[in-house]
Amino acid sequence: MIFVIEDDRGWESYYRRILRRNDVKYFHDGVAAIAEMDFEHPPALVILDVLLTGPTGFAVLNEMRSYPELMNVPAVIVSSVAIEAGDLASKYGVVAAYDKGSMKPADLLEVVKRYA
Amino acid sequence: MESEVVVAHELKAPLSLMRQLALSLEFEKDMEGVREVGQQIVATSERAIRQVNDLTKVARLDDALFEMEPVNPRVVCDEVVAELWRLFEFNRRELRIEYRNKRRLAVANPQLLHSVVYNFCLNAMNYGGEELPSEISVYDRAGQIRIEVRDFGPTIPTKIWREVKDGFVKKPVATPMRPGSSGLGLYIASRFANYMRSDFGLIRHKDGTSFYIDLPVSGQLSFL
Repeated sequence: MIFVIEDDRGWESYYRRILRRNDVKYFHDGVAAIAEMDFEHPPALVILDVLLTGPTGFAVLNEMRSYPELMNVPAVIVSSVAIEAGDLASKYGVVAAYDKGSMKPADLLEVVKRYA
Repeated sequence: MESEVVVAHELKAPLSLMRQLALSLEFEKDMEGVREVGQQIVATSERAIRQVNDLTKVARLDDALFEMEPVNPRVVCDEVVAELWRLFEFNRRELRIEYRNKRRLAVANPQLLHSVVYNFCLNAMNYGGEELPSEISVYDRAGQIRIEVRDFGPTIPTKIWREVKDGFVKKPVATPMRPGSSGLGLYIASRFANYMRSDFGLIRHKDGTSFYIDLPVSGQLSFL
Protein backbone atom coordinates (compact mmCIF):
# COMPACT_ATOMS: atom_id res chain seq x y z
CA MET A 1 0.00 0.00 0.00
CA ILE A 2 1.22 3.50 -0.88
CA PHE A 3 0.20 6.45 1.28
CA VAL A 4 0.07 9.87 -0.38
CA ILE A 5 -0.22 12.81 2.04
CA GLU A 6 -0.96 16.01 0.12
CA ASP A 7 -3.38 18.77 1.12
CA ASP A 8 -3.51 20.46 -2.29
CA ARG A 9 -6.35 18.86 -4.26
CA GLY A 10 -4.80 19.87 -7.55
CA TRP A 11 -1.70 17.86 -6.67
CA GLU A 12 -3.77 14.97 -5.40
CA SER A 13 -5.53 14.89 -8.74
CA TYR A 14 -2.13 14.86 -10.43
CA TYR A 15 -0.96 11.87 -8.33
CA ARG A 16 -4.14 9.98 -9.17
CA ARG A 17 -3.44 10.51 -12.86
CA ILE A 18 0.19 9.48 -12.62
CA LEU A 19 0.04 6.55 -10.22
CA ARG A 20 -3.11 4.85 -11.57
CA ARG A 21 -2.98 2.09 -8.96
CA ASN A 22 -5.62 0.61 -6.69
CA ASP A 23 -3.25 0.23 -3.74
CA VAL A 24 -2.86 3.96 -3.08
CA LYS A 25 -4.54 5.81 -0.22
CA TYR A 26 -4.78 9.59 -0.26
CA PHE A 27 -4.78 11.80 2.83
CA HIS A 28 -4.92 15.55 3.30
CA ASP A 29 -3.08 15.61 6.61
CA GLY A 30 -0.52 13.53 8.44
CA VAL A 31 -2.64 12.83 11.51
CA ALA A 32 -5.29 11.03 9.45
CA ALA A 33 -2.58 9.12 7.54
CA ILE A 34 -0.82 7.85 10.66
CA ALA A 35 -4.15 6.91 12.24
CA GLU A 36 -4.85 4.78 9.19
CA MET A 37 -1.50 2.98 9.15
CA ASP A 38 -1.68 -0.73 9.92
CA PHE A 39 1.30 -1.56 12.13
CA GLU A 40 1.24 -5.21 11.04
CA HIS A 41 1.16 -4.26 7.39
CA PRO A 42 2.82 -0.85 7.17
CA PRO A 43 2.79 1.14 3.92
CA ALA A 44 5.35 0.13 1.33
CA LEU A 45 5.98 3.80 0.59
CA VAL A 46 4.85 7.21 1.79
CA ILE A 47 4.79 10.18 -0.57
CA LEU A 48 4.26 13.47 1.21
CA ASP A 49 4.54 17.22 1.05
CA VAL A 50 6.39 19.24 3.69
CA LEU A 51 3.96 22.14 4.12
CA LEU A 52 0.82 20.32 5.18
CA THR A 53 -2.27 21.38 7.06
CA GLY A 54 -1.55 20.44 10.67
CA PRO A 55 1.79 18.75 11.42
CA THR A 56 4.47 19.29 8.77
CA GLY A 57 5.77 16.45 6.64
CA PHE A 58 8.86 16.22 8.86
CA ALA A 59 6.71 15.97 11.99
CA VAL A 60 4.79 13.13 10.33
CA LEU A 61 8.01 11.30 9.48
CA ASN A 62 9.34 11.93 12.97
CA GLU A 63 6.19 10.42 14.44
CA MET A 64 6.48 7.39 12.16
CA ARG A 65 10.10 6.90 13.16
CA SER A 66 9.05 6.71 16.80
CA TYR A 67 7.23 3.41 16.15
CA PRO A 68 9.42 0.35 15.48
CA GLU A 69 6.81 -0.99 13.04
CA LEU A 70 6.87 2.18 10.94
CA MET A 71 10.43 3.37 11.29
CA ASN A 72 11.66 1.62 8.15
CA VAL A 73 8.91 2.80 5.83
CA PRO A 74 10.60 4.61 2.93
CA ALA A 75 9.40 8.15 2.25
CA VAL A 76 9.46 10.42 -0.77
CA ILE A 77 9.16 14.16 -0.24
CA VAL A 78 7.56 16.22 -3.00
CA SER A 79 7.54 19.86 -2.01
CA SER A 80 7.95 23.42 -3.17
CA VAL A 81 10.64 23.75 -0.54
CA ALA A 82 14.03 22.73 -1.93
CA ILE A 83 15.31 19.74 0.04
CA GLU A 84 18.27 17.41 -0.34
CA ALA A 85 17.24 13.79 0.27
CA GLY A 86 20.77 12.81 1.24
CA ASP A 87 20.61 14.85 4.42
CA LEU A 88 17.37 13.21 5.46
CA ALA A 89 17.91 9.55 4.63
CA SER A 90 19.21 8.46 8.02
CA LYS A 91 17.05 10.75 10.11
CA TYR A 92 13.69 10.35 8.39
CA GLY A 93 14.02 7.44 5.96
CA VAL A 94 13.66 9.73 2.96
CA VAL A 95 14.70 7.84 -0.19
CA ALA A 96 14.04 10.70 -2.61
CA ALA A 97 13.09 14.36 -2.49
CA TYR A 98 11.70 16.36 -5.39
CA ASP A 99 11.03 20.01 -5.98
CA LYS A 100 7.48 20.44 -7.27
CA GLY A 101 8.80 22.90 -9.81
CA SER A 102 11.35 20.61 -11.43
CA MET A 103 10.24 17.02 -10.76
CA LYS A 104 9.55 14.74 -13.70
CA PRO A 105 6.71 12.21 -13.48
CA ALA A 106 9.04 9.45 -14.70
CA ASP A 107 11.41 10.07 -11.74
CA LEU A 108 8.61 9.62 -9.26
CA LEU A 109 7.28 6.53 -11.02
CA GLU A 110 10.72 4.96 -10.96
CA VAL A 111 10.96 5.35 -7.18
CA VAL A 112 7.43 4.04 -6.73
CA LYS A 113 8.27 1.02 -8.88
CA ARG A 114 11.39 0.37 -6.82
CA TYR A 115 9.68 0.39 -3.42
CA ALA A 116 6.04 -0.56 -3.95
CA MET B 1 10.06 34.89 6.13
CA GLU B 2 10.21 38.00 3.95
CA SER B 3 6.90 38.81 2.29
CA GLU B 4 8.50 38.74 -1.19
CA VAL B 5 9.63 35.17 -0.55
CA VAL B 6 6.25 33.94 0.60
CA VAL B 7 4.53 35.65 -2.33
CA ALA B 8 7.00 34.04 -4.73
CA HIS B 9 6.26 30.69 -3.08
CA GLU B 10 2.53 31.13 -3.61
CA LEU B 11 2.97 32.19 -7.22
CA LYS B 12 5.18 29.16 -7.83
CA ALA B 13 2.45 26.73 -6.75
CA PRO B 14 0.16 27.00 -9.81
CA LEU B 15 3.16 27.18 -12.17
CA SER B 16 4.59 23.95 -10.73
CA LEU B 17 1.25 22.19 -11.00
CA MET B 18 0.76 23.32 -14.60
CA ARG B 19 4.18 21.98 -15.51
CA GLN B 20 3.47 18.62 -13.90
CA LEU B 21 0.07 18.38 -15.55
CA ALA B 22 1.59 19.15 -18.94
CA LEU B 23 4.25 16.48 -18.38
CA SER B 24 1.58 13.99 -17.31
CA LEU B 25 -0.16 14.27 -20.68
CA GLU B 26 2.10 11.58 -22.11
CA PHE B 27 0.58 9.12 -19.62
CA GLU B 28 -2.99 9.75 -20.76
CA LYS B 29 -4.35 6.91 -22.83
CA ASP B 30 -7.44 8.52 -24.32
CA MET B 31 -8.67 11.88 -25.54
CA GLU B 32 -11.05 12.27 -22.60
CA GLY B 33 -8.09 12.16 -20.20
CA VAL B 34 -6.15 14.63 -22.34
CA ARG B 35 -9.16 16.96 -22.40
CA GLU B 36 -9.51 16.83 -18.60
CA VAL B 37 -5.83 17.56 -18.04
CA GLY B 38 -6.07 20.42 -20.54
CA GLN B 39 -9.02 21.90 -18.64
CA GLN B 40 -7.16 21.62 -15.35
CA ILE B 41 -4.16 23.38 -16.87
CA VAL B 42 -6.40 26.18 -18.16
CA ALA B 43 -8.16 26.59 -14.79
CA THR B 44 -4.84 26.60 -12.91
CA SER B 45 -3.25 29.07 -15.33
CA GLU B 46 -6.25 31.41 -15.06
CA ARG B 47 -5.79 31.41 -11.30
CA ALA B 48 -2.11 32.31 -11.71
CA ILE B 49 -2.92 35.06 -14.19
CA ARG B 50 -5.50 36.56 -11.84
CA GLN B 51 -3.01 36.55 -8.97
CA VAL B 52 -0.49 38.45 -11.08
CA ASN B 53 -3.18 40.84 -12.36
CA ASP B 54 -4.32 41.53 -8.82
CA LEU B 55 -0.78 42.25 -7.69
CA THR B 56 -0.43 44.65 -10.62
CA LYS B 57 -3.63 46.39 -9.55
CA VAL B 58 -2.33 46.69 -5.98
CA ALA B 59 0.70 48.51 -7.38
CA ARG B 60 -1.58 50.86 -9.33
CA LEU B 61 -3.95 51.73 -6.48
CA ASP B 62 -2.10 54.93 -5.72
CA ASP B 63 -2.87 56.17 -9.22
CA ALA B 64 -6.58 56.17 -8.28
CA LEU B 65 -7.51 54.59 -11.59
CA PHE B 66 -10.39 52.56 -10.21
CA GLU B 67 -13.60 54.56 -10.13
CA MET B 68 -16.49 53.81 -7.85
CA GLU B 69 -19.87 53.15 -9.40
CA PRO B 70 -23.18 51.40 -8.69
CA VAL B 71 -22.57 47.65 -8.78
CA ASN B 72 -24.94 44.73 -8.48
CA PRO B 73 -23.28 42.40 -5.92
CA ARG B 74 -25.23 39.41 -7.22
CA VAL B 75 -23.79 39.91 -10.71
CA VAL B 76 -20.26 40.14 -9.30
CA CYS B 77 -20.73 36.95 -7.25
CA ASP B 78 -22.22 35.12 -10.23
CA GLU B 79 -19.19 36.12 -12.32
CA VAL B 80 -16.78 34.88 -9.65
CA VAL B 81 -18.60 31.55 -9.41
CA ALA B 82 -18.56 31.21 -13.21
CA GLU B 83 -14.80 31.84 -13.17
CA LEU B 84 -14.04 29.48 -10.30
CA TRP B 85 -16.43 26.53 -10.59
CA ARG B 86 -14.07 24.42 -12.66
CA LEU B 87 -11.14 25.04 -10.31
CA PHE B 88 -13.38 24.05 -7.40
CA GLU B 89 -14.38 20.93 -9.30
CA PHE B 90 -10.75 19.94 -9.91
CA ASN B 91 -10.08 20.47 -6.23
CA ARG B 92 -13.12 18.35 -5.35
CA ARG B 93 -14.79 21.25 -3.66
CA GLU B 94 -18.24 22.70 -3.87
CA LEU B 95 -19.05 26.40 -3.97
CA ARG B 96 -22.57 27.42 -3.00
CA ILE B 97 -24.18 30.79 -3.26
CA GLU B 98 -27.10 32.24 -1.38
CA TYR B 99 -28.73 35.59 -1.98
CA ARG B 100 -30.70 37.03 0.93
CA ASN B 101 -30.32 40.72 0.09
CA LYS B 102 -32.84 43.09 -1.40
CA ARG B 103 -32.13 43.76 -5.03
CA ARG B 104 -30.18 46.93 -4.48
CA LEU B 105 -26.93 48.19 -5.90
CA ALA B 106 -23.78 48.78 -3.89
CA VAL B 107 -21.13 51.44 -4.37
CA ALA B 108 -17.85 49.79 -5.39
CA ASN B 109 -15.42 49.32 -8.21
CA PRO B 110 -16.58 46.18 -10.04
CA GLN B 111 -13.07 44.95 -10.88
CA LEU B 112 -11.78 45.34 -7.34
CA LEU B 113 -14.92 43.87 -5.79
CA HIS B 114 -14.64 40.89 -8.14
CA SER B 115 -11.07 40.35 -6.95
CA VAL B 116 -12.07 40.61 -3.28
CA VAL B 117 -14.79 37.96 -3.64
CA TYR B 118 -12.53 35.83 -5.84
CA ASN B 119 -9.75 35.84 -3.25
CA PHE B 120 -12.18 35.05 -0.43
CA CYS B 121 -13.45 32.07 -2.47
CA LEU B 122 -9.95 30.87 -3.36
CA ASN B 123 -9.04 31.02 0.31
CA ALA B 124 -12.15 28.99 1.15
CA MET B 125 -11.31 26.44 -1.55
CA ASN B 126 -7.80 25.96 -0.23
CA TYR B 127 -8.77 25.67 3.42
CA GLY B 128 -12.32 24.35 3.42
CA GLY B 129 -12.97 21.21 5.43
CA GLU B 130 -13.40 17.76 3.97
CA GLU B 131 -16.66 17.15 2.15
CA LEU B 132 -18.03 20.52 3.18
CA PRO B 133 -18.98 23.26 0.73
CA SER B 134 -17.76 26.82 0.75
CA GLU B 135 -20.60 29.31 0.84
CA ILE B 136 -21.03 32.81 -0.55
CA SER B 137 -23.81 34.75 1.14
CA VAL B 138 -25.05 38.18 0.17
CA TYR B 139 -27.32 39.91 2.64
CA ASP B 140 -28.33 43.29 4.00
CA ARG B 141 -26.82 44.39 7.25
CA ALA B 142 -27.20 47.70 9.07
CA GLY B 143 -27.87 49.70 5.94
CA GLN B 144 -25.06 48.04 4.02
CA ILE B 145 -24.73 45.02 1.76
CA ARG B 146 -22.50 42.27 3.09
CA ILE B 147 -20.79 39.71 0.88
CA GLU B 148 -19.53 36.88 3.06
CA VAL B 149 -17.57 33.75 2.17
CA ARG B 150 -17.58 30.95 4.73
CA ASP B 151 -15.18 28.03 4.89
CA PHE B 152 -15.02 25.05 7.24
CA GLY B 153 -11.24 24.73 7.49
CA PRO B 154 -8.75 25.42 10.28
CA THR B 155 -9.30 28.80 11.82
CA ILE B 156 -6.76 31.50 11.09
CA PRO B 157 -4.06 32.58 13.55
CA THR B 158 -4.86 35.33 16.03
CA LYS B 159 -2.19 37.61 14.55
CA ILE B 160 -3.87 37.61 11.13
CA TRP B 161 -7.28 37.89 12.77
CA ARG B 162 -6.18 41.05 14.56
CA GLU B 163 -4.87 42.59 11.35
CA VAL B 164 -8.07 41.77 9.49
CA LYS B 165 -10.11 43.02 12.45
CA ASP B 166 -8.25 46.30 12.16
CA GLY B 167 -9.26 46.32 8.50
CA PHE B 168 -5.88 45.95 6.88
CA VAL B 169 -3.43 43.12 6.25
CA LYS B 170 -0.06 44.86 6.34
CA LYS B 171 1.83 42.36 4.20
CA PRO B 172 1.59 38.77 3.02
CA VAL B 173 2.85 36.38 5.69
CA ALA B 174 3.14 32.63 5.99
CA THR B 175 0.42 31.18 8.23
CA PRO B 176 1.47 27.94 9.94
CA MET B 177 -2.11 26.77 10.45
CA ARG B 178 -2.84 27.29 6.79
CA PRO B 179 0.39 26.17 5.14
CA GLY B 180 1.14 26.73 1.52
CA SER B 181 -0.47 30.12 1.83
CA SER B 182 1.32 33.41 1.97
CA GLY B 183 -1.88 35.21 2.92
CA LEU B 184 -1.55 36.84 -0.49
CA GLY B 185 -5.28 36.63 -1.24
CA LEU B 186 -6.19 38.27 2.05
CA TYR B 187 -3.57 40.95 1.55
CA ILE B 188 -4.97 41.75 -1.91
CA ALA B 189 -8.57 41.70 -0.67
CA SER B 190 -7.76 44.01 2.24
CA ARG B 191 -5.96 46.49 -0.01
CA PHE B 192 -8.86 46.60 -2.47
CA ALA B 193 -11.47 46.89 0.31
CA ASN B 194 -9.46 49.68 1.88
CA TYR B 195 -9.27 51.50 -1.46
CA MET B 196 -13.05 51.24 -1.85
CA ARG B 197 -13.45 52.49 1.75
CA SER B 198 -15.44 49.37 2.52
CA ASP B 199 -15.41 47.43 5.77
CA PHE B 200 -13.41 44.24 5.50
CA GLY B 201 -13.32 41.65 8.24
CA LEU B 202 -13.67 38.10 9.37
CA ILE B 203 -15.58 35.97 11.81
CA ARG B 204 -13.76 33.08 13.46
CA HIS B 205 -15.97 30.06 13.93
CA LYS B 206 -15.26 26.91 15.87
CA ASP B 207 -15.19 25.05 12.57
CA GLY B 208 -13.85 27.60 10.11
CA THR B 209 -13.77 31.22 9.10
CA SER B 210 -16.02 33.72 7.32
CA PHE B 211 -14.48 36.63 5.46
CA TYR B 212 -16.70 39.54 4.54
CA ILE B 213 -16.85 42.93 2.92
CA ASP B 214 -19.56 45.47 3.76
CA LEU B 215 -20.51 47.80 0.94
CA PRO B 216 -22.51 51.04 1.08
CA VAL B 217 -25.87 50.91 -0.68
CA SER B 218 -26.15 52.98 -3.85
CA GLY B 219 -29.03 55.40 -4.21
CA GLN B 220 -29.57 54.03 -7.72
CA LEU B 221 -32.21 51.31 -8.02
CA SER B 222 -31.41 47.94 -9.53
CA PHE B 223 -33.68 46.68 -12.25
CA LEU B 224 -31.75 43.42 -12.68
